[in-house]
Amino acid sequence: MSDEPKLTILGKLFLLLFLAACAAGAWWAFTPHSKGGVAGFTSAFNSSNPTAPTTKSPTDGNSTAKSSVLDAPAISSTGGPIEIGLAYGTEKKRWLEWAAEEFPKTAEGRGIQVNLIPLGSIEAAQAITAGDKRIDAWSPAADLYTETFARDFELKHSRPPIAQSEQLALTPMVFVSWGERTDAFLTHYKEMSFKTVGEALKAPGGWDGIAQKPDWGFYKFAHTHPSQSNSGLMALLLMAYDYHDKTRGLTMADILNVKFNSWMVDLESSVVEFPNSTGNLMKDMVLKGPSSYDCVLVYESVAIDYLKNAEGRWGSLRVTYPRKNLWSNNPYYVLNTPWSDGRRQAAAKAFMKYLMSEPAQKMALTHGFRPGNPAVPILFPESPFTTGQKFGLKVDLNGICESPKGEVIHNLLVGWNNNVRAH
Amino acid sequence: MVMKAFPWLQRIRAAIVLLLFALIPGLPTLGQNRLDLLFAYGSEKEEWITEATAAFNRAGIKATDGRTIVVKALPMGSGECMDRVASGSLKAQLVSPASGLFIKLANSESRTKTGKDLVPETENLVLSPVVIAVWKPMAEALGWGNKPVGWAEILALARNPEGWGALNAPQWGQFKLGHTHPEYSNSGLISILAETYAATGKTAGLSLEDIGRPEVGEFVHGIEGSIVHYGASTGFFGKKMFQQGPGYLSAAVLYENMVVEANSGKYSLPFPVVAVYPKEGTFWSDHPVGVVDAAWVTPEQKAAARRYIRFLLAPEQQRRALAFGFRPGLVDVALGAPIDKAHGVDPAEPKTTLEVPRAEVIRGVGRLWEKSKKHSRVVLVMDTSGSMNDGGRIENARKGAAQMLRLMKDEDTFSLLSFNSRLTWAMRSQPLTQGRTLAEKTIASLWANGGTALYDAILAAHEDLQKAPDNEKISAVVVLTDGQDTNSKTALETLMKAIRFDSEKNNVRVFTIGYGEDANREVLQKIADSTQAKSYAGTPENIESVFKDISTFF
Repeated sequence: MSDEPKLTILGKLFLLLFLAACAAGAWWAFTPHSKGGVAGFTSAFNSSNPTAPTTKSPTDGNSTAKSSVLDAPAISSTGGPIEIGLAYGTEKKRWLEWAAEEFPKTAEGRGIQVNLIPLGSIEAAQAITAGDKRIDAWSPAADLYTETFARDFELKHSRPPIAQSEQLALTPMVFVSWGERTDAFLTHYKEMSFKTVGEALKAPGGWDGIAQKPDWGFYKFAHTHPSQSNSGLMALLLMAYDYHDKTRGLTMADILNVKFNSWMVDLESSVVEFPNSTGNLMKDMVLKGPSSYDCVLVYESVAIDYLKNAEGRWGSLRVTYPRKNLWSNNPYYVLNTPWSDGRRQAAAKAFMKYLMSEPAQKMALTHGFRPGNPAVPILFPESPFTTGQKFGLKVDLNGICESPKGEVIHNLLVGWNNNVRAH
Repeated sequence: MVMKAFPWLQRIRAAIVLLLFALIPGLPTLGQNRLDLLFAYGSEKEEWITEATAAFNRAGIKATDGRTIVVKALPMGSGECMDRVASGSLKAQLVSPASGLFIKLANSESRTKTGKDLVPETENLVLSPVVIAVWKPMAEALGWGNKPVGWAEILALARNPEGWGALNAPQWGQFKLGHTHPEYSNSGLISILAETYAATGKTAGLSLEDIGRPEVGEFVHGIEGSIVHYGASTGFFGKKMFQQGPGYLSAAVLYENMVVEANSGKYSLPFPVVAVYPKEGTFWSDHPVGVVDAAWVTPEQKAAARRYIRFLLAPEQQRRALAFGFRPGLVDVALGAPIDKAHGVDPAEPKTTLEVPRAEVIRGVGRLWEKSKKHSRVVLVMDTSGSMNDGGRIENARKGAAQMLRLMKDEDTFSLLSFNSRLTWAMRSQPLTQGRTLAEKTIASLWANGGTALYDAILAAHEDLQKAPDNEKISAVVVLTDGQDTNSKTALETLMKAIRFDSEKNNVRVFTIGYGEDANREVLQKIADSTQAKSYAGTPENIESVFKDISTFF
């Protein structure tokens, strides 16, 4: 006789009932009812508002801002909701978060969820080339890296990476400085330029030497990190154009010029900080006031976004345009990647079209961008370019430079990384 | 329809679901359906973070995978916070020291070790400039209100042997300055950077060559001579200053928000306290918050941590931060009361900052401070009564004492008085330059037996330091006891009278550790309070960290 334990009839019955209950429970849980699937499990125990969609708020920021459309019907022509990923430069954060929320409410955007993925230009180019399957479209601040990106991508994936593109909005670079200190600076140096900023950074005694204001401390200038932020690279390019007093044909010889390098390294070694984001730099200037930055070089759009915030704190800000300037054209690339199928490409194109539409372009203008859609006017009574004239904003610019070749940009960056002490 | 007709079916369904949760592996159970985050942060903003974190956890915010995010916020010194996360001994997913200086140092070391930053990206949660908090009449004597006052003037007064007499106010005695320990606390690190800048006459471009000049070391040494003691927590300093009045400290390097707090009716102040924004410049305590890039942080935790950061930076929480005396980290929240003159601060200040030096220069300043700091004379009074044999108390106390010894500098002197029913001087006034090994051996050789002559032992240790006063050093008795006094000839009243702190004549501080349940905590607290020191509740589990905290005062 075996010693193994045996189940009684009651035990067998209980086991049978239990297994049946498990099967019934599983069927109940995994078949769609009012919520459907596994979501029903979690909502039963976990959610204070089980009917709320999993929408992320626009203030979710750095991760991925989603304009969820789980409750919306599927795209009529293709069936079923779809998610696309847009890698973007954070200078457009507030505008794109608004657009990603609004787009699904339009007829063209129903069923399309846009995940915003904040990435620096170099970082994004590398991620796409490496095969980051989250990304279907890319909108860097400018097209400075596009040439290098397209070459690298094609080498790896044997296809051109860009299916379609648009210039969403334009913005130049500006010096932003505090009103009172700008007046004192201009009294001494007559103009604000890279040359005079460089001189102020080296002024013996700082502000004491410049304007007999010892309590203003040393002169503090900043731009973003050229390897981490597009506006930092713009700063270096503008220095090069300004030094060589040209707007076209910046060459390798110009970049490797010993005198230029010596001047540039000297100026850059006195820069107080190289933050990795233009928005954070401008925010810091407003929050910490002239104690931390006397002058910064940022996008015009970022400056406009913060001009009003500064007024109630430390006094007004002043915008000055460098003698030479470069457009950040905020391109939008619909990507032609192995992982982005026809539906995702179509959705990425639809979002691009929406961004170029009049309502979206008007919103871009309120965030300080010059519209990429020529049908949208820039000057009207409520436009920031009209109300901001007192801060020094102007629409017409001279000295716009061309975007240099990839190898020139590359060498400028290499030179900076090798010679300038990164804080 | 079926459910409505047969409500008992709903109950069965709920029971089945519960059974599945409990019995089927892989499905989330109630306890597992949360995503935990550990947030290590500088204790300066503890009240705000505690309130904001409770609100976040109450809101039941979901992670991208549907789990509820639950944040545990752990306050500590900024230096300790970054050190522990960098070493992996504290596996926090996000950190917020009081200043970007600590992020800079930790990232620099991380790049050397691992080739990448420990905290790659940060955003400032709130801001508060570092200020010199001074009693208003004293600030006025320094010229505050009529002219800009700087580090150099305050530090020159700190070095002046005439003290306040140099400013025609001899009734205030010596100028007494307080700043925290720079290895543990942000405001301490900032203080020694400012001292070094003042010594060089620079406000930017501090170099290793500057630090190496002998006169710079002498200047820093002169200032450090006026330090009453150090400490790990800026909050402790501020609290003590506001509680004890100008006899304890003339001025302390604190954060602006603490001056606001002091003038908000929380303390009964003899005079208002004002914030002096040094004319040469100061530093911002910018409370950067960032997600840790380490193997123990999952992508889901990174996303959840960013969600929590967004919550802290939302207007509602930022307005609460302002109410606690911080300047908001959000431009949309206007700066207003209590950041105003009524609370001793000026929203239009500071006008300039000192340049943050390179990481290697910061480390160089740390080394200069170690050489120039005020050194200590410490008597460790160790209870070796029989009860110390219970529950591993004596073993852990030995470990704790050895830890304190390790953290003391070579220039400090050390004595060991063990007591049970009688007192034994195991070591007396040994400079640690030569006596460190002997001290370690002596501590390791202690064993327990006999009664407890606690008051006799404290009095003997105090008298030993007091009979040869040395104002150039911090004089401290550290007492560890696990029981009540049973064998002393000295009465408690006599002891209290003998040790009562007097900044001019009797400045030996007695730190007390009530070890275990039987110690008389009330008496030990009284003893520490009467010497303007600190009392601790020790257990075999925490005794090492208690000794470590005490060592930050030296």
